[in-house]
Amino acid sequence: MIIEILKLLIIPGIFFLFTLALFYQWLDRRFLARLQNRRGPMHTGSHGTLQPLADFIKLLAKEDIEPEAVDKPVFRGVPILLSTISITALFFIPIWGVKAFVHFEGDLIFMTFLMTLIAILAFLGGWSSTNRFSTIGGLRAAMQTLGYEVPLSLAFIGPAIVAKSLSISKIVEWQASTGIWAIILNPLGFGIAIIALLAELEKVPFDLPEAETELVAGWQTEFSGRKLALLRFAFDLELVLAAGLITSLFLGGPAGPFYNIPWVGVIWFFIKTTIVVLILSNLRGLFARFRIDQMVSGCWKYLVPLAIIQIIFLQLVLG
Amino acid sequence: MSNSTYKVPIGPQHPALKEPENFLLTVDGEEIIDVKIRLGYVHRGGEKAFENRTYVQGLYLIERVCGICAMAHQLCYVNNLEPMMDVEAPPRAQYIRTIVAELERVHSHLLWLGVAAHEIGFDTLFMYCWRDREVSLDLMEMITGNRVLHAANTIGGVRRDLTADMISKTRKGIALLKKRTEYYKKLVLAEKTILKRALGVGILSTKDAAELCAVGPTARASNVKKDVRKDDPYSAYDEIPFNLITYDLCDVASRVLVRVDELIESANIIEYSLDHLPTGPIGVRAPRSIPPGENVSIVEAPRGEDIHYCKSNGTDKPERYKVRAPTLGNWASMAKMLIGGYVADVPITLAAIDPCMSCTDRVAFIDANSGKNWIWSTEQIKKYSKKNGGR
Repeated sequence: MIIEILKLLIIPGIFFLFTLALFYQWLDRRFLARLQNRRGPMHTGSHGTLQPLADFIKLLAKEDIEPEAVDKPVFRGVPILLSTISITALFFIPIWGVKAFVHFEGDLIFMTFLMTLIAILAFLGGWSSTNRFSTIGGLRAAMQTLGYEVPLSLAFIGPAIVAKSLSISKIVEWQASTGIWAIILNPLGFGIAIIALLAELEKVPFDLPEAETELVAGWQTEFSGRKLALLRFAFDLELVLAAGLITSLFLGGPAGPFYNIPWVGVIWFFIKTTIVVLILSNLRGLFARFRIDQMVSGCWKYLVPLAIIQIIFLQLVLG
Repeated sequence: MSNSTYKVPIGPQHPALKEPENFLLTVDGEEIIDVKIRLGYVHRGGEKAFENRTYVQGLYLIERVCGICAMAHQLCYVNNLEPMMDVEAPPRAQYIRTIVAELERVHSHLLWLGVAAHEIGFDTLFMYCWRDREVSLDLMEMITGNRVLHAANTIGGVRRDLTADMISKTRKGIALLKKRTEYYKKLVLAEKTILKRALGVGILSTKDAAELCAVGPTARASNVKKDVRKDDPYSAYDEIPFNLITYDLCDVASRVLVRVDELIESANIIEYSLDHLPTGPIGVRAPRSIPPGENVSIVEAPRGEDIHYCKSNGTDKPERYKVRAPTLGNWASMAKMLIGGYVADVPITLAAIDPCMSCTDRVAFIDANSGKNWIWSTEQIKKYSKKNGGR
C-alpha cells in the first residue's frame, strides 16, 4: 500500500510527471525560439531549463484576482479539474514498462473521454468568466472540439484495430512483442493524430481559443495567480499527454532494444516523446492561425475522410 | 436590434492595437454587422506646440509626430518651408533625402509585414522581418546618426554627407534586403495559411477606395493609381525611374503584396540614387524668419500621403502649423473593410492599413446632439477637468 502511494506520488507519479511537463515546456519554448531566430529562455538554470519552474512559482505567488461577476464554483473548479484530469490521463500512458500504472480493457475509450472533458473544461472556464473575450474563446474551444474530436478518435482506432485491443497498455505490449510499430500500418493516422492534437493543445495554427491578437488570452483572460499557474501546468501536462499518447499508440511506447531492463524503457519513451514534442513545436513555427470556420470545415473536409480511408486500408490489409 | 447580436469593444486597450483607439463592434456570432470608431485618445497638442517654437526647433518636433515615418514628416516640413523662405536644397541633398526616405519606407514596410504576420498568428515571419529590419535601421544610423528620429534634414539641405564608405555599406545592406524581400514574397505567395487569412478579407473596392479617399498602399492595393512620388514629385523622385505598384485584389493579400513589391522598388530607388548621386554642397543657408504667407506640401510617407500646412506671420515662428497624417485618410475606408467580416479578421484588417493612431489624433469639442463645436483655452480645459474630479 505504501509503495503504491509512493509510486503515485513520485515515480511514475506526480513528481515525475511534473518534472517531465516542465522539461517539455522548456524544450518546446527553446526549440521554437531557435526556429524563429530568437534565443528563448536563457537565464534561469543551465540554458534556461529552470525557467518553467520559475514561472510556475512566480505565478503561484502572484495575486489571485476573482472578478465579481464570475460564476465562482466553476471558475475555481476549472484549473483544479483541468490539472487533475491531465494527470489522471497520464497514468494510462505506459512509461516505465509496457504496462501503464493504471490499465484496463477499454481505457483508450476512457482516454478519448478525458480529452473531451479537457476541451469542455476550457469552454466552462470561458463561460464562467463572463468576460466577452473569455466567452468567445470558450465558444471557440467548444467549436474546435467539434472539428478535431472525430478525426482524433478515428486515428486512435487504427492502432487498436492492429493490436486487436482497446487498452493502451495492450497496444504497446503488442507493438513490443511483435516489434512492429503501429505507425508502419497507420502513417495517415499518425499525421491526423498529430494535427488533431495540435488543436487539442490549442497551439498554432489552431490556437484560436486563446488567439492573442484577437481575444487577449481567450478563455483564460480572467484567470490569474494560482489559478493561472495551475492552468499553465495543465497545458504542460497536456503536452506530455499528447506526446505520450502518440508515442504509445504509434511509436511503440517504451519498446526498443533492451526495453525489459529497468530504466532502458523509460529512456526509449523519453527519446520518442522528445521527437514528438519537437515535431509539434516545429509545426507551431510553420503556420499562421486558421479562422474558426476554416478550422472546423478543414477538419471535416480533409481529416475525417483521410481517417476513414486509413481504417478501410487497415481492414483490407489485416482482413 | 435583435438579441442575438452583442457588442465587442476592441480597444482602447487591446493586444491587437499598438496604440489606444476604440472600435465598438456589433457582432452576430463571429460576424461583424456594425462598427463605430472612436478617436482622440492620444491627442498630444503637437500642432499648438509649433506656435511656440522657431522654425528650426520645429524641425525636431515634427519628427516626434511619428517615430516610424519621422523622415517623411521632416521631409514634408522642409519641403513646406523652403519655398516660403525662397531657398532650394542642392541636388546632392535632394538625393540624400530620397535615399533616407526610401530606407525609412523599407524599415516601415518590413515592420508592417512583421506586425501583419503576428496578427494572423504567424510569429515566425514576424521575428524574421524584424530581424531584417535591423539592417535598414543600422544603415540609417550610419547615414544620419540615429536609428529612429533621424534628424537627417535641415532647412536648405541635409545635416550629413554620404562618404564613399557609407555608400558601399549601403549597397551591401540593400542587396541583402532585396534578397530577403524576394524570399518573403515567395513565402507569402506559397504559404497556404497566410493566403487563407488574407485572401478576400477586408475588401475595399476600387470605387470605395477612390470615393473614401484612401491613401498610400491601402489605395494602391485597391487598384487606385495614387502616389505622391509620381503625381507631384518632390526631392529627386522626378529624376528616378520607378514603378507605381498596384494590385487589384482589393483585400489584405493585395495590401501585403503591394508593400512587398514596394520594398523591392524602394531598394531599386536607393541603388539608382547611389549610382547617380550628384556632387556638390549638401546645404544652403536659410533665413530664420519667413515673410507672411501660407503653403501646403505633400509627401508620400510609407503609410500614404502626408499633408502639411503652414501659415507664417513674418516672425521666426509659424502662426499655424497643421499636420494631416496618412492614417486619418484611411479611417473612413476602415469601417467599410470591417463590416461583413469576422471578429477573427479584425486585427489583420485593422493592421492592414498600417494605422498610426497618435499621429492622427486631434481634439475638437463637439456637442453630438446640436452639432455645435467650439474652442477651449488651456485654463478652461483645466477648470473642466478639475470640476470632473481631475487634479
